[in-house]
Amino acid sequence: MSTIPRASSAIEGEPAHFGTVLAHKPELAEKFADLYGRFWDSDVLSARLKEVARMRNARVTECGFCRNVRFDKAVAEGLGEEVVDDITDDYENSPRLTEAEKAVLKFTDALIHDPDLLTGDAKAALRRHLSAEQIAELGLGVTLFLALAKALITLGLEPEQMDRTVLPTPAVPENAG
Amino acid sequence: MSGPVIEALAGSPDLAARYAAFRDAAHDALGPELVEAVRGAVAEVHGAPVEHAPGVAPEAVLAFARRMVFEHTAITDEEAAAVASELGEPGLVALSVVAALADAECRARAIDLPGLASA
Repeated sequence: MSTIPRASSAIEGEPAHFGTVLAHKPELAEKFADLYGRFWDSDVLSARLKEVARMRNARVTECGFCRNVRFDKAVAEGLGEEVVDDITDDYENSPRLTEAEKAVLKFTDALIHDPDLLTGDAKAALRRHLSAEQIAELGLGVTLFLALAKALITLGLEPEQMDRTVLPTPAVPENAG
Repeated sequence: MSGPVIEALAGSPDLAARYAAFRDAAHDALGPELVEAVRGAVAEVHGAPVEHAPGVAPEAVLAFARRMVFEHTAITDEEAAAVASELGEPGLVALSVVAALADAECRARAIDLPGLASA
């Protein structure tokens, strides 16, 4: 896995990271910011559940950048490091993760790794804890987390070293429609 | 607009429209013929039906797209450079996003995301 950017920053004076590399295609960068901001802004599904899924995706896809970023909205909703530390392959036995979080993690694993994990019991658990609208939003989120992690890695945008960093949760750009 | 994510978001038209706009922008950035070739290559690795006749693309582009499915961490600097040589840096960026989205959509279809998200 390369930590040398395979595409340069399209913004003069700024280092290569996902945003500045995506700026090679300004329309793409704009639509991504609009979508990702709106997704995180929506409260249909809590930021905490979204972040649980994002953390699982980060671990499975081996996205070091994703693993070290925390979004502040989820932190404010009580997602502490002791919970994140339990998002391992043994998450089902965690005493800290809620049953809803475990259902979200099973869904996440099924989408990004193995569809057979979504057994009848797993589907029932998901539907017990999440509404249809919440499942749709979770599906959008995991789709984006997976695609972004893979794009970031294949563009060589993984950091050599990175401390855990709490970032402002993505928001809809002010000039968005 | 079509695809498992958009179908699943039928009850959230605002998010569906924004997802469609993002995916369309990615497709426009790569160009329709390459998009068809890339989506076809990704679907083939997944064993999923290919929706349209496969487009034509340089082998370096197709190889990059195929490896996105199960080997994204193993793509080498040389393979990425070969794509950039064919498409330029902006093309490499667009390809990464299009191939990764195509992969994720195949996976969303495999779990029947629209069915799960139906009331």
